[in-house]
Amino acid sequence: MKITFKKLAALSVATCLSTTAHAEIQWNGFASIVAGQTTSSGDTLNGYDDSISLEQGSFFALQASNDLGDGLSVTAQILARGENDWDPEFEWAYLSYAINDQLNIKVGRQRAPFYMFSDYLDVSYAYPWISPPKGVYNVPFSKLDAISATYTSTLGEFDVSTQLIYGNYDGDVTTDDGTFNVETNNLGGFSVTVTRDWLTLRGAYFVASDTNVMHPVLAETADSWSGAGYNDVASQLLVAEDEAVFAELGLQIDYNDYIVIAEYASLEIKNSYRAKEASYYVTLGKRFDDVLVHVTYGKDDDESRVITNDVASGNVQIDALKAGTDAFMRTQEDDSSYVTLGLRWDFHSSAALKFEYTDYSNNINAASDANLFRMAFVTVF
Amino acid sequence: MKRILLIVATTALFNSSVAQAEVAVIINNANASAITTSDASRIFLGKIKSFANGNKIVPVNLPAASTARGEFEQKALKKSASQLKAFWSKQIFTGKGKPPKDLGSDTDVINFVANNANAIGYVDAAQVTDSVKVIATF
Repeated sequence: MKITFKKLAALSVATCLSTTAHAEIQWNGFASIVAGQTTSSGDTLNGYDDSISLEQGSFFALQASNDLGDGLSVTAQILARGENDWDPEFEWAYLSYAINDQLNIKVGRQRAPFYMFSDYLDVSYAYPWISPPKGVYNVPFSKLDAISATYTSTLGEFDVSTQLIYGNYDGDVTTDDGTFNVETNNLGGFSVTVTRDWLTLRGAYFVASDTNVMHPVLAETADSWSGAGYNDVASQLLVAEDEAVFAELGLQIDYNDYIVIAEYASLEIKNSYRAKEASYYVTLGKRFDDVLVHVTYGKDDDESRVITNDVASGNVQIDALKAGTDAFMRTQEDDSSYVTLGLRWDFHSSAALKFEYTDYSNNINAASDANLFRMAFVTVF
Repeated sequence: MKRILLIVATTALFNSSVAQAEVAVIINNANASAITTSDASRIFLGKIKSFANGNKIVPVNLPAASTARGEFEQKALKKSASQLKAFWSKQIFTGKGKPPKDLGSDTDVINFVANNANAIGYVDAAQVTDSVKVIATF
């Protein structure tokens, strides 16, 4: 099953705009203006370099939702990112149907509920940092064209929310290796969130049985392997119809003036060049009236694979190909950590100023160590 | 010495807030639903959306600047104004709910609740009239 997004988007926008006679459109928006710069010349980190940038991480979003009555509503969200030249894009466009107070069905382009903060990934006002820690929040896409069901219930004193989702993603993504097309089909999974007063626990698990990454350089290398008679190496290198498995665990404590947030995530695209990724972070914070001071420690541990073990040596060309492939595979390895000190100041009832300093260290390649300073104005309206 | 002054000052602040009027949660006189204190808090966080009889609950707020609202949010919802703002921005942008509508004054809330069978509000307890029913105080 493939959900054709364009039709849905057109439908939801049309419904949003045409039904004004029945109900009013509710407009909401949010924005982050972020300035960031690495502190030493030549250093780069998370898309920033040593010259001050206002584009990276900055965006405006506008959300329109229209309650059509009888539990039916349409929601569209348009987001313009500085790093994409402020081109507005449909982030969300879905039809939602509340069957009752507990069960809600959503159809259309919606957030992939990978992480604890996925649902409001860009609403910086709703969390302490300028953006959730990149090391963990690294699935390169965040929306799906999908159908999902969310069931909310109470279990004693606990509120339990379970979301099941099934859909696909097809679009360009930007990773450390460059920008290329990713197509992932048959993506299915669930997330469960349990909340009681000051405690939130979360877990999520997703499998995509047909994941494809169109990596042009790799395609050439894979062709060379196939040409040399090593189809297996070629298929181990490419992400083509491969299975991807994602798992996440999260914890949040918001007790009096203290906050604790921790999250772990792992991602594996089987039989592919992608390393098996595992990452976590822990954030501790304390509120002093309108000011929240926080510190985050995070670690990324990506294990690269060796796919050329069965290749016989002796042929100069194949040896070169093997050396090149092995070297590339090693670049997928990651063993890095970061400490971020941050301050959030709620100077206004719907806006906050945030300051963050990140010290990143890479245990494999010390040359990519970097320090990053960012400040942000974030608002909801 | 500074520390002692600080303690005295915060104690004074704390006492003055205790001395403030109680907040009463009110519903329509005709509403026979059994609502516990914890239900009342959950209604104002959008976690309970319907009364036991299935009718949609219509919660209403006092204005953002009102003292009673601050009291209610602190005592019943156990959240500061900015925590609540962050909470509702999560709800809005995930399509899970909207915050209760803000009305103009205690009188407005009492009138609204008196005229709407499914309404619930909270007001300064001293302002309550017999046109509404008090189900909890904080």
